[in-house]
Amino acid sequence: MSMRGPALAMLRLLAGLLIAGAVWEGAVIALGIRPHILPRLGMIWGAVMQAPQAYWDGFLRTLIETLIGFAMGACVGVLNGVVFFRLPTLRDMLLPIFVVSQTIPVIAFGALVVLWFGNTLMAKAIIAFYLTFFPVTVNTLLGLNSVDPRQVALLRSFGANGAQILFRLQLPMALPQTFVALRLAASLSLVGAIVGEWFGDTTGLGVLLLQAMYNENVVALWAAIFCCAILGTGFYALVAWAERRLVFWGAEQ
Amino acid sequence: MQRRALLGTIGATGLFPAIRPAGAQGLQRATLRLKWLAQTQFAGFYLALQRGYYREAGIDLTINPGGPNLLTENLVATGADTFGLSGGTDSVFAARERNLPIQCVGIAHQQTPFVFVVRKDSPIRTLQDFRGKTITTWFTGANYVLLGMLAQAGLRQGDFTIQPQQVSVTPFVDGQIDVVTATRYNEFYTLMTRMGRDNLRVFVPDEFGITFPRDTLIVSEQTARDKPDMVKGFLRASIRGWREALADRKAGVDAVMAVAPTLNREHQEFMLEEAGKLMVAGAAAQNGMFWIDQDAVKAAHDFLLRYEVIKSAVNLPAAYNRSFLEGLSAADRGV
Repeated sequence: MSMRGPALAMLRLLAGLLIAGAVWEGAVIALGIRPHILPRLGMIWGAVMQAPQAYWDGFLRTLIETLIGFAMGACVGVLNGVVFFRLPTLRDMLLPIFVVSQTIPVIAFGALVVLWFGNTLMAKAIIAFYLTFFPVTVNTLLGLNSVDPRQVALLRSFGANGAQILFRLQLPMALPQTFVALRLAASLSLVGAIVGEWFGDTTGLGVLLLQAMYNENVVALWAAIFCCAILGTGFYALVAWAERRLVFWGAEQ
Repeated sequence: MQRRALLGTIGATGLFPAIRPAGAQGLQRATLRLKWLAQTQFAGFYLALQRGYYREAGIDLTINPGGPNLLTENLVATGADTFGLSGGTDSVFAARERNLPIQCVGIAHQQTPFVFVVRKDSPIRTLQDFRGKTITTWFTGANYVLLGMLAQAGLRQGDFTIQPQQVSVTPFVDGQIDVVTATRYNEFYTLMTRMGRDNLRVFVPDEFGITFPRDTLIVSEQTARDKPDMVKGFLRASIRGWREALADRKAGVDAVMAVAPTLNREHQEFMLEEAGKLMVAGAAAQNGMFWIDQDAVKAAHDFLLRYEVIKSAVNLPAAYNRSFLEGLSAADRGV
């Protein structure tokens, strides 16, 4: 593919954003929509510029919580997948408990996390972790189970040991499945971090959302929503980019 | 303290760097859990913290904001937080009824902080006119105040439609409902800015003889027993911060906006003004802020008991401990 492909796609994306922005502004002006229903983009930008440090601090704080939660969820999820794959007995014992844990609404769980960890950054990361480790566990297990046994037998006939088979065949073959979960986890970990911040904190996009929502400050609400969208989209794009680099054969499957 | 003990037993303390490092020497570490996010409803605490009054009292204080899903009583009872500014007399009753070991050591809002609002051009002029109308209110205590007021006017449940109120007052502004509940310092501001003060008619619970003191300062029974001097020091510093915040509104608003810079300044100024009125009303006028008006507490208690919101009588002297306030000098109480 020529280099013009990605550049063209980027241009199209920019054009799409511009059109969406123009439609937004046009609709607000033409239809006379009141600001507390839909504010103009300029007003939202103005709200961010009034306290840029607060939005930047909130962005960074939520980003860090999201990344820590995601990293823990990804590591524990893959580890769980491998352990359950190797020890089906343990899988039968623990997986149902994991399923039950995922049926607890995160709101109920959040109140407990605050009791245990207080208003710490870690409390938010734990909630993000709680939302992310399960899909990664399940998909890694699914990926490992779908490895062709004939390939395993082939490697074994060459004298490969268990660890070699795991790292050179099974985990790489499971990667496409794992990445499906990781992309999901990228969004979920952000949700976890934001919800975590609803349990009392001073910094973070979740705090800004909550403040704006309960003060009926619609402009600030949109400003916080845009920050969340940028963070969520950026992180998702990063994971998707990593997927394309690492699972370059993914398209074949 | 129990929280740290728990972390210690897990042996995971090292994993949680966000836990604050040890405070300065000679200071007792403590936290204050608010009932909501940082806003000027709590300006006096933030100003006292900013000006170092808690440190002067030997307390290294951290203010933890609340949130929609947090119950301050639980956090204080378990020791996760030292002090709490909790919902109000109603939530203290509920906690004591559930045998949570907490005590109220001061009351911030001496009067009912919320009112019921109708459009001035609506046909609702008296409480009797609520018949057949649609009302939204919070099902966290305000609903009983409303039922009590309407019962006095001879209305029974079923004579009107009562719905839980969501975050926004927009349904009222748009005319979808007839009566909305508004705290004087928050929703009422939104209503005023969107509809104009002159277009609103207000029904004040206190004018109908129902007073619900809210925003209660609580500690655990253990703190009250083991650290009475810390409780007194906390009250002294808080009262000082509040008096200065009400005397110098700009400083009060600034102290909060330093923590939450995205807040709307005009709204916060209004909130401080209204919260201030609630704090110096009633018995606080003679006895100083945070005074526990035993009569008002008893009236609220009896009211909730009558409506079976609380099932059995609460031991009021055990639940509302005024001794810490009484232990302060008149000057410290600002009277």
